[in-house]
Amino acid sequence: MTRKQVLTTLLGLVLIAAMALVPMYVKKDSTINLIVMVLLYVSLASSWNILGGFAGQVNLGHAAFFGLGTLVTRSLWLSGWPLWAAMLAGGIVPVLLGLLIGIPAFKLRGAYFSIGTLALGQVLYVIVGNRWPLITSLPVKYLGSYSLAPRYYLFLGVALVTVGAAYILMRSRFGLGLAAIREEEDAAESLGVSARRHKILALSLSAFFAGLTGGAFAFYHVGYYPQFPFGPVWSFDAVTIAFIGGTGTIIGPIVGGIFYVVLKELLALRLVEIHLTVFGILFVLIVLFLPGGLVEAWQKVRDAFARRPGRPKVGRPLPQGEN
Amino acid sequence: MLAPTIQSLVFGILIGGLFGLAAVGLSLVFGVTKFLNVSHGELLMLGGYTSFWLFTLYRVDPFVGLPLAILALVVLGVVLYKLIFTRMVKLSDETKIKNTMLVGFGLGLVLQNVALRLWTADDRGITTSYSSHVIQAFGVRFPVVRLISFAIAVVVLLALQLFLKRTYTGKAIRATVQDWEAATLLGIDIHKVYLLSFVMGAGLAGLAGGLVAVGYSIKPDMGLEWTLISLIVMVLGGLGSFVGTFVAGLVVGIAQSLTSLWLGGAYREMVALLLFLLVLVLRPQGLFGVKEG
Amino acid sequence: MLELEGIFAGYKDLTVLRDISLRVGAGELVALVGPNGAGKTTTLKVISGLVRPTAGEVRLDGRPLTKEPPHRIVQMGISQVLEGGRVFTGLTVLENLELGAFGAAARKAKHENLKRVFTLFPRLEERKHQRAGTLSGGERQMLAIGRALMTTPRLLMLDEPSFGLAPILVEQIFRMIAEINKQGVTVLLVEQNVRAALELTQRAYVIENGRIVGEGSGDSLLSFESVRSAYLG
Repeated sequence: MTRKQVLTTLLGLVLIAAMALVPMYVKKDSTINLIVMVLLYVSLASSWNILGGFAGQVNLGHAAFFGLGTLVTRSLWLSGWPLWAAMLAGGIVPVLLGLLIGIPAFKLRGAYFSIGTLALGQVLYVIVGNRWPLITSLPVKYLGSYSLAPRYYLFLGVALVTVGAAYILMRSRFGLGLAAIREEEDAAESLGVSARRHKILALSLSAFFAGLTGGAFAFYHVGYYPQFPFGPVWSFDAVTIAFIGGTGTIIGPIVGGIFYVVLKELLALRLVEIHLTVFGILFVLIVLFLPGGLVEAWQKVRDAFARRPGRPKVGRPLPQGEN
Repeated sequence: MLAPTIQSLVFGILIGGLFGLAAVGLSLVFGVTKFLNVSHGELLMLGGYTSFWLFTLYRVDPFVGLPLAILALVVLGVVLYKLIFTRMVKLSDETKIKNTMLVGFGLGLVLQNVALRLWTADDRGITTSYSSHVIQAFGVRFPVVRLISFAIAVVVLLALQLFLKRTYTGKAIRATVQDWEAATLLGIDIHKVYLLSFVMGAGLAGLAGGLVAVGYSIKPDMGLEWTLISLIVMVLGGLGSFVGTFVAGLVVGIAQSLTSLWLGGAYREMVALLLFLLVLVLRPQGLFGVKEG
Repeated sequence: MLELEGIFAGYKDLTVLRDISLRVGAGELVALVGPNGAGKTTTLKVISGLVRPTAGEVRLDGRPLTKEPPHRIVQMGISQVLEGGRVFTGLTVLENLELGAFGAAARKAKHENLKRVFTLFPRLEERKHQRAGTLSGGERQMLAIGRALMTTPRLLMLDEPSFGLAPILVEQIFRMIAEINKQGVTVLLVEQNVRAALELTQRAYVIENGRIVGEGSGDSLLSFESVRSAYLG
């Protein structure tokens, strides 16, 4: 391992340790809640990124997976299942939905797929809203023992697992195949990369981790409308956070998530949420001018400083024979 | 048993006309520029609010105020095009569709929230002196306002067809759709064609919004619903056929209305969406469209 | 009349043209020949504005053209017929032709130009209300050329007009091109069919791998390998 890799790994471990110790030395609940929000959005955006950033399939209905996770986990947990089992189920059911729609959906290329997912997200939102219109509240026995720390750790765990999986994925041969499909699907196919299989697997992973995130959400909140996590705003959040941070990278959704929550807090001066407007504008700007998001911006800044004087810029040799 | 069904059919047709109008706007823009502007519904919403405020603040009759709603959206369309969409003209088709969809997505978010901040989340509607007038014929009630709206939609679409088929500019637009390189080599300014199409799409959205405001109701988050409807109808009707798109609008309107009657209002929204998913998977070129080679 | 100097151009990271310089005088009929992929089409596209060169200049009567958008260049009198003709299949023959008269100046001359095109290509007049998609390959090529003529060009650029056409048709089309040139339109012809091109023109440029490797007329061009193999092969 290079020195840089050793340092990065050490830094990562230190960070994780620090995060793990948070509930011990941070006394204010509101601060912990803030960090929980960051972890939530990081997980949400990272799970989206597996399909949207790595595989290049823009899913505009990610809330369907997230929502299903909340629905399944909440129902099972409140009916007596152990939390871990309920969480697992909450991760798996969205995968089943993903497989169900993925197989026909991936016949659709590009934009058709995206608007298809948009429609699908809405369908689930409407169904859930009609079927379960009443608030789900924690029964009294749970209310009494409600403690923030385990919820914090659950979110931390989900975030670590999601980001970790994304990291392993990106570095694997599978990740390479995904990147090829994202860039030039036809070319990748001609090299023997099965687009279908890759996309379906990416979709499944994306759904699974979104479901886990949903499960953590279900465990965390005392009361909410079951329809709420299926709402389009969650799909929007996943997409915008991943884009603003930088799709296709591991650290993008993390940066984006932190940025989002911080901005939201800073802008929470008025009653109506102005942060969505600001975020929307930022998102448009990023798509137009800086498609790599904040990560790309950071790299550009680093490059600007890294160009040492005296080092000639090597020109690209002209290719031989062309059209 | 029959009477409510026919009544439902009528209602479905009346709103279906507006679905068709909205979808044609989107289809025009997409067909010419390959911009998939998913903030189309928000543009419609803004048209509705323009009409609403003109009526509420200045007592402008909603039908008389339609040209103003269209104008407002035309201006907005120019602004949006020049600020944002003009930068994506040069992209490859696939990238163009993807990027404009993303941009439209963000734009829609912004517009929706601005509307929410300015005008609150309340449902709004325009109630005029004649809003409750109904024509009774064959045992069916035809609300006058909705009837007029439908008629306006049909007339405008016919005018649009004529424009595209008969006028020079219309033919230039059609030529650009078919082969923009060949068109530009004939001296046709592609940028102007793009701008015109985009602006016309926005204007149609504004018109549709104004008609929705008077016959139905509007609220800031109606954009997503109408964008989806426009997309659904556009795909169902197939690109390149406005007649097909209009008919598809009627189909969706009727489907929604009948579903509401038979299965209850809760599932109304779902029908269109499910129909959409079905068509996407089975026949992406729509019911009337031509399969892309 | 038309001058290219030191043109470098390409697509994305690919450099296609390297230091292209050529000249077409008013009233001339000049050919640009070379093997497949040599950069002939790209050269035309640089002139008509569809491709921006990375270096070099294009001048029309001394006036630089390089920064102008394509539709403006058309108004200045340069018209390109794309490879394969590329007619608007959904529109009628007449509508295709009329669209050529889009610019203000061309619109004034519309009637005259239409008469001229129909005289040159009587087949088009016969089919004027037919949809262009129903025309045969040769007729489409004629339509494409006719359409370009409607813009009242001073310089007409043709990209492989013989492509995919039977030899008899090729002869016919080339005769028309000669006729057009006689009527005063300067012509720059890009062709892979070297034989036909050299028979038509007196002067030609040979392009290979993005470079102009020679200029001359008929016999002198035979010294080039690519020309020779195309001519004899």
